[in-house]
Amino acid sequence: MIFLTKLGKTINYERKFELFMSYAHPEVLVDTEWVSQNPPNENRKLVEVDYDPVNGYEKGHINGASLIWWKRDINDPVTRDIISKKEFEALMIKNGITADTEVILYGDFNNWFAAFVFWVFKIYGHENLKIMNGGRKKWELESRDYTTDEPQFSSVSYVAQPPDEGLRAYLFDVSRALGKEDTVMVDVRSPAEFSGQITAPPEYPMEHAQRGGHIPDANNIPWATAVNDADGTFKAVEELKQNYEPKGVTPDKDVICYCRIGERSSHSWFVLKYLLGYPKVRNYDGSWTEWGNMIGNPVEK
Amino acid sequence: MLLDLPVLKKGSFYFIKEDNTNIILEDKTKRGLEIKETSVDEKLNVKADKGMIHDMDGIGHWVPIRWYFSKESFELSQVVIHAEAMEEKYTKLRELTCPDDDD
Repeated sequence: MIFLTKLGKTINYERKFELFMSYAHPEVLVDTEWVSQNPPNENRKLVEVDYDPVNGYEKGHINGASLIWWKRDINDPVTRDIISKKEFEALMIKNGITADTEVILYGDFNNWFAAFVFWVFKIYGHENLKIMNGGRKKWELESRDYTTDEPQFSSVSYVAQPPDEGLRAYLFDVSRALGKEDTVMVDVRSPAEFSGQITAPPEYPMEHAQRGGHIPDANNIPWATAVNDADGTFKAVEELKQNYEPKGVTPDKDVICYCRIGERSSHSWFVLKYLLGYPKVRNYDGSWTEWGNMIGNPVEK
Repeated sequence: MLLDLPVLKKGSFYFIKEDNTNIILEDKTKRGLEIKETSVDEKLNVKADKGMIHDMDGIGHWVPIRWYFSKESFELSQVVIHAEAMEEKYTKLRELTCPDDDD
Protein backbone atom coordinates (compact mmCIF):
# COMPACT_ATOMS: atom_id res chain seq x y z
CA MET A 1 0.00 0.00 0.00
CA ILE A 2 2.79 2.38 1.00
CA PHE A 3 4.66 1.37 -2.13
CA LEU A 4 1.63 2.15 -4.30
CA THR A 5 1.18 5.52 -2.68
CA LYS A 6 4.83 6.37 -3.22
CA LEU A 7 4.67 5.14 -6.81
CA GLY A 8 1.57 7.27 -7.37
CA LYS A 9 3.38 10.30 -6.03
CA THR A 10 6.38 9.59 -8.23
CA ILE A 11 4.22 9.43 -11.33
CA ASN A 12 2.50 12.63 -10.25
CA TYR A 13 5.83 14.43 -9.78
CA GLU A 14 7.08 13.19 -13.14
CA ARG A 15 3.95 14.50 -14.84
CA LYS A 16 4.32 17.85 -13.08
CA PHE A 17 7.97 18.01 -14.09
CA GLU A 18 7.04 17.31 -17.72
CA LEU A 19 4.43 20.08 -17.63
CA PHE A 20 6.92 22.54 -16.14
CA MET A 21 9.62 21.68 -18.64
CA SER A 22 7.27 22.10 -21.59
CA TYR A 23 7.04 25.84 -20.90
CA ALA A 24 9.31 28.03 -23.01
CA HIS A 25 11.04 29.34 -19.87
CA PRO A 26 10.46 26.85 -17.06
CA GLU A 27 13.14 28.60 -15.02
CA VAL A 28 10.68 31.39 -14.14
CA LEU A 29 8.28 29.14 -12.22
CA VAL A 30 8.50 27.28 -8.93
CA ASP A 31 5.73 25.38 -7.18
CA THR A 32 4.56 25.63 -3.60
CA GLU A 33 6.30 22.38 -2.62
CA TRP A 34 9.62 23.71 -3.90
CA VAL A 35 9.17 26.92 -1.91
CA SER A 36 8.38 24.96 1.24
CA GLN A 37 11.58 22.92 0.76
CA ASN A 38 13.80 25.86 -0.23
CA PRO A 39 13.45 28.67 2.29
CA PRO A 40 14.93 32.10 1.64
CA ASN A 41 18.59 32.65 2.48
CA GLU A 42 21.40 35.10 1.74
CA ASN A 43 21.11 34.53 -2.02
CA ARG A 44 17.42 33.74 -2.31
CA LYS A 45 14.62 36.11 -1.30
CA LEU A 46 10.94 35.42 -1.12
CA VAL A 47 8.65 38.41 -1.69
CA GLU A 48 4.89 38.56 -1.25
CA VAL A 49 3.27 41.10 -3.57
CA ASP A 50 -0.14 42.25 -2.40
CA TYR A 51 -2.86 44.54 -3.63
CA ASP A 52 -4.41 44.33 -0.17
CA PRO A 53 -1.70 43.65 2.43
CA VAL A 54 -4.07 44.26 5.34
CA ASN A 55 -6.08 41.19 4.33
CA GLY A 56 -2.99 39.36 3.02
CA TYR A 57 0.59 39.72 4.25
CA GLU A 58 -0.33 41.27 7.59
CA LYS A 59 -2.66 38.39 8.46
CA GLY A 60 0.04 35.88 7.59
CA HIS A 61 2.66 35.12 4.96
CA ILE A 62 5.21 32.45 4.08
CA ASN A 63 8.07 32.33 6.55
CA GLY A 64 10.89 34.63 5.49
CA ALA A 65 8.86 36.55 2.92
CA SER A 66 9.07 40.34 2.79
CA LEU A 67 6.29 42.53 1.41
CA ILE A 68 5.95 44.62 -1.72
CA TRP A 69 2.69 46.55 -1.54
CA TRP A 70 1.67 47.23 -5.12
CA LYS A 71 0.15 50.63 -4.48
CA ARG A 72 2.78 51.96 -2.08
CA ASP A 73 5.99 50.36 -3.32
CA ILE A 74 5.76 49.89 -7.06
CA ASN A 75 3.84 53.00 -8.11
CA ASP A 76 4.97 56.60 -8.03
CA PRO A 77 3.14 58.21 -5.09
CA VAL A 78 2.00 61.27 -7.08
CA THR A 79 2.08 60.73 -10.84
CA ARG A 80 0.40 57.68 -12.34
CA ASP A 81 3.49 55.69 -13.30
CA ILE A 82 5.66 52.85 -12.11
CA ILE A 83 8.55 53.74 -9.81
CA SER A 84 11.75 55.19 -11.25
CA LYS A 85 15.04 53.31 -11.51
CA LYS A 86 16.28 55.04 -8.38
CA GLU A 87 13.13 54.15 -6.44
CA PHE A 88 13.39 50.56 -7.71
CA GLU A 89 16.96 50.35 -6.42
CA ALA A 90 15.83 51.64 -3.02
CA LEU A 91 13.04 49.05 -2.96
CA MET A 92 15.52 46.26 -3.70
CA ILE A 93 17.82 47.43 -0.90
CA LYS A 94 14.89 47.58 1.51
CA ASN A 95 14.08 43.95 0.65
CA GLY A 96 17.69 42.76 0.96
CA ILE A 97 17.94 42.04 -2.76
CA THR A 98 21.13 42.41 -4.81
CA ALA A 99 21.37 42.24 -8.60
CA ASP A 100 22.40 38.56 -8.29
CA THR A 101 19.72 37.49 -5.81
CA GLU A 102 17.26 34.81 -6.83
CA VAL A 103 13.86 36.38 -6.16
CA ILE A 104 10.64 34.40 -5.85
CA LEU A 105 7.43 36.39 -6.09
CA TYR A 106 3.96 35.32 -5.05
CA GLY A 107 0.87 37.15 -3.93
CA ASP A 108 -2.82 37.71 -3.44
CA PHE A 109 -5.45 38.06 -6.17
CA ASN A 110 -4.26 35.08 -8.22
CA ASN A 111 -0.71 36.45 -8.53
CA TRP A 112 -1.93 39.38 -10.67
CA PHE A 113 0.15 41.90 -8.75
CA ALA A 114 3.08 39.50 -8.42
CA ALA A 115 3.05 39.32 -12.23
CA PHE A 116 2.94 43.12 -12.40
CA VAL A 117 5.97 43.32 -10.11
CA PHE A 118 7.70 40.60 -12.17
CA TRP A 119 7.16 42.89 -15.18
CA VAL A 120 8.65 45.89 -13.33
CA PHE A 121 11.64 43.78 -12.18
CA LYS A 122 12.21 42.85 -15.83
CA ILE A 123 11.90 46.48 -16.95
CA TYR A 124 14.80 47.26 -14.60
CA GLY A 125 16.75 44.21 -15.74
CA HIS A 126 16.61 41.81 -12.79
CA GLU A 127 17.65 38.43 -14.16
CA ASN A 128 17.07 35.74 -11.59
CA LEU A 129 13.35 35.99 -11.02
CA LYS A 130 10.57 33.47 -10.47
CA ILE A 131 6.89 33.27 -9.65
CA MET A 132 5.43 30.74 -7.24
CA ASN A 133 2.74 29.01 -9.29
CA GLY A 134 -0.71 29.49 -7.77
CA GLY A 135 0.31 32.20 -5.29
CA ARG A 136 -1.40 32.56 -1.94
CA LYS A 137 -4.47 30.77 -3.25
CA LYS A 138 -2.65 27.47 -3.79
CA TRP A 139 -0.56 27.82 -0.62
CA GLU A 140 -3.76 28.21 1.39
CA LEU A 141 -5.58 25.42 -0.44
CA GLU A 142 -2.76 23.14 0.63
CA SER A 143 -3.15 24.33 4.25
CA ARG A 144 0.49 25.33 4.45
CA ASP A 145 1.80 27.45 7.31
CA TYR A 146 1.92 31.22 7.54
CA THR A 147 3.73 33.46 9.99
CA THR A 148 3.35 37.11 10.97
CA ASP A 149 7.09 37.50 11.65
CA GLU A 150 8.79 39.92 9.30
CA PRO A 151 12.33 39.22 8.08
CA GLN A 152 15.26 41.51 8.80
CA PHE A 153 17.88 42.09 6.12
CA SER A 154 21.52 43.02 6.24
CA SER A 155 22.65 46.06 4.28
CA VAL A 156 23.03 45.50 0.51
CA SER A 157 23.54 47.59 -2.60
CA TYR A 158 21.70 47.40 -5.91
CA VAL A 159 22.30 48.99 -9.30
CA ALA A 160 19.42 48.48 -11.72
CA GLN A 161 19.59 48.49 -15.51
CA PRO A 162 18.13 51.36 -17.54
CA PRO A 163 14.41 50.69 -18.14
CA ASP A 164 13.64 48.24 -20.95
CA GLU A 165 10.86 50.19 -22.67
CA GLY A 166 10.37 47.32 -25.10
CA LEU A 167 8.26 45.56 -22.47
CA ARG A 168 5.85 48.44 -22.04
CA ALA A 169 3.20 49.87 -24.35
CA TYR A 170 2.13 53.47 -23.96
CA LEU A 171 -1.04 55.16 -25.17
CA PHE A 172 0.91 56.38 -28.19
CA ASP A 173 1.98 52.82 -29.10
CA VAL A 174 -1.57 51.53 -28.85
CA SER A 175 -2.98 54.38 -30.95
CA ARG A 176 -0.32 53.76 -33.58
CA ALA A 177 -1.08 50.04 -33.62
CA LEU A 178 -4.76 50.53 -34.47
CA GLY A 179 -5.57 48.84 -37.75
CA LYS A 180 -2.13 47.29 -38.13
CA GLU A 181 -2.21 43.64 -39.13
CA ASP A 182 1.10 42.79 -37.49
CA THR A 183 -0.01 43.97 -34.04
CA VAL A 184 -2.64 42.16 -32.02
CA MET A 185 -4.37 43.52 -28.94
CA VAL A 186 -5.36 41.18 -26.10
CA ASP A 187 -8.02 42.48 -23.73
CA VAL A 188 -7.81 40.21 -20.70
CA ARG A 189 -10.79 41.66 -18.81
CA SER A 190 -14.07 39.87 -18.22
CA PRO A 191 -16.59 39.68 -21.09
CA ALA A 192 -18.84 42.15 -19.21
CA GLU A 193 -16.05 44.73 -19.14
CA PHE A 194 -15.08 44.02 -22.74
CA SER A 195 -18.64 44.55 -23.99
CA GLY A 196 -19.02 47.76 -22.01
CA GLN A 197 -21.77 46.37 -19.79
CA ILE A 198 -19.68 47.47 -16.82
CA THR A 199 -16.54 49.61 -16.54
CA ALA A 200 -15.43 48.03 -13.25
CA PRO A 201 -16.96 45.61 -10.77
CA PRO A 202 -18.59 47.25 -7.73
CA GLU A 203 -15.72 46.02 -5.54
CA TYR A 204 -13.41 48.54 -7.23
CA PRO A 205 -15.25 51.88 -7.26
CA MET A 206 -11.98 53.76 -7.84
CA GLU A 207 -11.24 52.04 -11.14
CA HIS A 208 -14.06 53.22 -13.37
CA ALA A 209 -13.68 54.90 -16.75
CA GLN A 210 -15.94 57.40 -18.50
CA ARG A 211 -16.64 54.99 -21.34
CA GLY A 212 -17.25 51.25 -21.44
CA GLY A 213 -16.15 48.91 -24.22
CA HIS A 214 -12.79 47.98 -25.68
CA ILE A 215 -10.02 49.12 -27.99
CA PRO A 216 -11.11 48.51 -31.60
CA ASP A 217 -10.28 45.02 -32.92
CA ALA A 218 -8.99 43.81 -29.55
CA ASN A 219 -9.45 40.11 -28.74
CA ASN A 220 -11.17 39.27 -25.50
CA ILE A 221 -9.13 36.51 -23.89
CA PRO A 222 -9.76 36.83 -20.13
CA TRP A 223 -6.71 36.28 -17.91
CA ALA A 224 -8.58 33.46 -16.13
CA THR A 225 -8.58 31.32 -19.26
CA ALA A 226 -4.83 30.83 -18.74
CA VAL A 227 -5.14 29.26 -15.30
CA ASN A 228 -6.65 26.16 -13.74
CA ASP A 229 -9.73 27.28 -11.86
CA ALA A 230 -9.19 24.87 -8.97
CA ASP A 231 -5.85 26.18 -7.71
CA GLY A 232 -4.86 29.17 -9.86
CA THR A 233 -1.86 27.44 -11.44
CA PHE A 234 -1.01 28.02 -15.07
CA LYS A 235 -2.47 25.69 -17.68
CA ALA A 236 -0.24 23.37 -19.70
CA VAL A 237 1.43 24.64 -22.87
CA GLU A 238 -0.94 22.90 -25.29
CA GLU A 239 -3.99 24.33 -23.53
CA LEU A 240 -2.41 27.79 -23.53
CA LYS A 241 -1.70 27.59 -27.25
CA GLN A 242 -5.32 26.67 -27.86
CA ASN A 243 -6.31 29.68 -25.82
CA TYR A 244 -4.47 32.23 -27.95
CA GLU A 245 -3.59 30.93 -31.41
CA PRO A 246 -7.13 30.39 -32.78
CA LYS A 247 -7.81 34.07 -32.03
CA GLY A 248 -4.82 35.20 -34.06
CA VAL A 249 -2.55 35.80 -31.08
CA THR A 250 0.48 34.09 -32.56
CA PRO A 251 4.24 34.36 -31.95
CA ASP A 252 4.83 36.19 -35.25
CA LYS A 253 2.77 39.18 -34.04
CA ASP A 254 3.57 42.19 -31.92
CA VAL A 255 1.28 41.53 -28.95
CA ILE A 256 -0.09 44.19 -26.60
CA CYS A 257 -1.98 43.10 -23.48
CA TYR A 258 -4.24 45.37 -21.47
CA CYS A 259 -6.92 45.22 -18.77
CA ARG A 260 -8.20 47.96 -16.41
CA ILE A 261 -5.07 49.05 -14.52
CA GLY A 262 -2.43 46.76 -16.03
CA GLU A 263 -2.17 44.04 -13.40
CA ARG A 264 -4.26 41.26 -14.97
CA SER A 265 -2.63 42.05 -18.31
CA SER A 266 0.83 41.58 -16.80
CA HIS A 267 -0.35 38.09 -15.80
CA SER A 268 -1.22 37.34 -19.45
CA TRP A 269 1.98 39.12 -20.57
CA PHE A 270 3.88 36.64 -18.35
CA VAL A 271 2.02 33.69 -19.89
CA LEU A 272 2.66 34.77 -23.48
CA LYS A 273 6.27 35.85 -23.01
CA TYR A 274 7.60 33.28 -20.57
CA LEU A 275 5.36 30.24 -20.76
CA LEU A 276 4.74 30.32 -24.50
CA GLY A 277 7.93 32.17 -25.44
CA TYR A 278 6.41 34.84 -27.72
CA PRO A 279 9.25 37.17 -28.71
CA LYS A 280 7.38 40.50 -28.70
CA VAL A 281 4.80 41.06 -25.96
CA ARG A 282 4.14 44.36 -24.23
CA ASN A 283 1.99 45.30 -21.29
CA TYR A 284 -0.14 48.42 -21.70
CA ASP A 285 -0.38 49.40 -18.03
CA GLY A 286 -2.38 52.54 -18.77
CA SER A 287 -5.05 50.06 -19.84
CA TRP A 288 -8.77 50.84 -19.83
CA THR A 289 -8.58 53.45 -17.04
CA GLU A 290 -6.45 55.45 -19.47
CA TRP A 291 -7.97 54.51 -22.84
CA GLY A 292 -11.59 54.74 -21.70
CA ASN A 293 -11.07 58.15 -20.10
CA MET A 294 -9.27 59.91 -22.95
CA ILE A 295 -11.30 62.32 -25.06
CA GLY A 296 -11.52 61.22 -28.65
CA ASN A 297 -10.14 57.70 -28.27
CA PRO A 298 -12.04 55.23 -30.48
CA VAL A 299 -14.09 52.70 -28.52
CA GLU A 300 -15.74 49.54 -29.76
CA LYS A 301 -18.62 47.84 -27.96
CA MET B 1 -35.19 35.54 -4.65
CA LEU B 2 -34.52 38.78 -2.80
CA LEU B 3 -35.33 40.73 -5.94
CA ASP B 4 -38.90 39.42 -5.94
CA LEU B 5 -39.69 40.32 -2.35
CA PRO B 6 -42.34 42.96 -1.71
CA VAL B 7 -40.98 46.46 -1.13
CA LEU B 8 -42.36 48.06 2.04
CA LYS B 9 -40.60 51.39 1.64
CA LYS B 10 -37.88 52.88 -0.51
CA GLY B 11 -35.61 55.91 -0.51
CA SER B 12 -32.99 57.22 -2.89
CA PHE B 13 -30.39 54.99 -1.29
CA TYR B 14 -32.35 52.11 0.25
CA PHE B 15 -35.08 49.52 -0.10
CA ILE B 16 -36.96 47.97 2.78
CA LYS B 17 -38.38 44.56 1.86
CA GLU B 18 -39.85 41.68 3.81
CA ASP B 19 -39.87 37.93 3.76
CA ASN B 20 -41.67 35.56 6.13
CA THR B 21 -39.35 36.14 9.05
CA ASN B 22 -37.39 39.33 8.41
CA ILE B 23 -37.65 42.96 7.49
CA ILE B 24 -34.76 43.45 5.09
CA LEU B 25 -32.94 46.74 4.67
CA GLU B 26 -30.88 46.98 1.47
CA ASP B 27 -28.17 49.56 0.75
CA LYS B 28 -28.73 50.52 -2.90
CA THR B 29 -25.17 51.85 -3.23
CA LYS B 30 -23.88 48.30 -2.73
CA ARG B 31 -25.93 46.87 -5.60
CA GLY B 32 -24.04 44.20 -7.55
CA LEU B 33 -21.44 43.64 -4.85
CA GLU B 34 -20.60 39.98 -4.34
CA ILE B 35 -21.74 38.57 -0.99
CA LYS B 36 -18.61 37.19 0.65
CA GLU B 37 -20.10 36.32 4.02
CA THR B 38 -23.23 36.60 6.13
CA SER B 39 -22.58 37.48 9.75
CA VAL B 40 -23.72 39.79 12.52
CA ASP B 41 -23.18 43.49 11.83
CA GLU B 42 -21.76 44.72 15.12
CA LYS B 43 -23.13 48.23 14.64
CA LEU B 44 -26.79 47.24 14.26
CA ASN B 45 -26.44 43.85 15.95
CA VAL B 46 -28.41 42.00 13.29
CA LYS B 47 -27.42 39.46 10.65
CA ALA B 48 -26.12 41.06 7.45
CA ASP B 49 -24.87 40.06 4.01
CA LYS B 50 -21.40 41.55 3.60
CA GLY B 51 -19.11 42.25 0.69
CA MET B 52 -15.72 43.88 0.31
CA ILE B 53 -14.87 47.22 -1.31
CA HIS B 54 -11.29 48.18 -2.10
CA ASP B 55 -10.16 51.75 -1.52
CA MET B 56 -7.63 53.86 -3.43
CA ASP B 57 -4.78 51.97 -1.76
CA GLY B 58 -6.23 48.57 -2.58
CA ILE B 59 -7.19 47.82 1.01
CA GLY B 60 -10.40 45.83 1.29
CA HIS B 61 -13.11 46.96 3.70
CA TRP B 62 -16.05 44.82 4.77
CA VAL B 63 -19.34 46.56 4.05
CA PRO B 64 -22.91 45.46 4.74
CA ILE B 65 -25.06 45.02 1.65
CA ARG B 66 -28.34 44.20 3.41
CA TRP B 67 -29.45 43.69 7.00
CA TYR B 68 -31.98 41.14 8.24
CA PHE B 69 -34.14 42.49 11.09
CA SER B 70 -36.10 39.67 12.64
CA LYS B 71 -39.83 40.38 12.72
CA GLU B 72 -39.91 38.90 16.20
CA SER B 73 -37.70 41.67 17.51
CA PHE B 74 -38.21 44.64 15.19
CA GLU B 75 -41.07 46.77 13.93
CA LEU B 76 -40.95 48.43 10.52
CA SER B 77 -40.71 51.83 12.21
CA GLN B 78 -37.45 50.81 13.90
CA VAL B 79 -35.95 49.70 10.59
CA VAL B 80 -37.03 52.96 8.96
CA ILE B 81 -34.97 54.86 11.54
CA HIS B 82 -31.83 53.02 10.38
CA ALA B 83 -32.83 53.49 6.74
CA GLU B 84 -33.32 57.23 7.12
CA ALA B 85 -29.99 57.58 8.94
CA MET B 86 -28.35 55.88 5.95
CA GLU B 87 -30.31 58.11 3.56
CA GLU B 88 -29.09 61.21 5.39
CA LYS B 89 -25.47 60.03 5.37
CA TYR B 90 -25.46 59.39 1.60
CA THR B 91 -27.37 62.60 0.83
CA LYS B 92 -24.72 64.59 2.70
CA LEU B 93 -21.98 62.75 0.80
CA ARG B 94 -23.66 63.53 -2.51
CA GLU B 95 -24.00 67.17 -1.56
CA LEU B 96 -20.32 67.24 -0.71
CA THR B 97 -19.19 65.82 -4.05
CA CYS B 98 -21.98 66.96 -6.39
CA PRO B 99 -23.68 70.01 -4.87
CA ASP B 100 -27.02 70.87 -6.39
CA ASP B 101 -26.75 73.65 -8.98
CA ASP B 102 -29.80 75.35 -7.50
CA ASP B 103 -28.09 75.89 -4.12
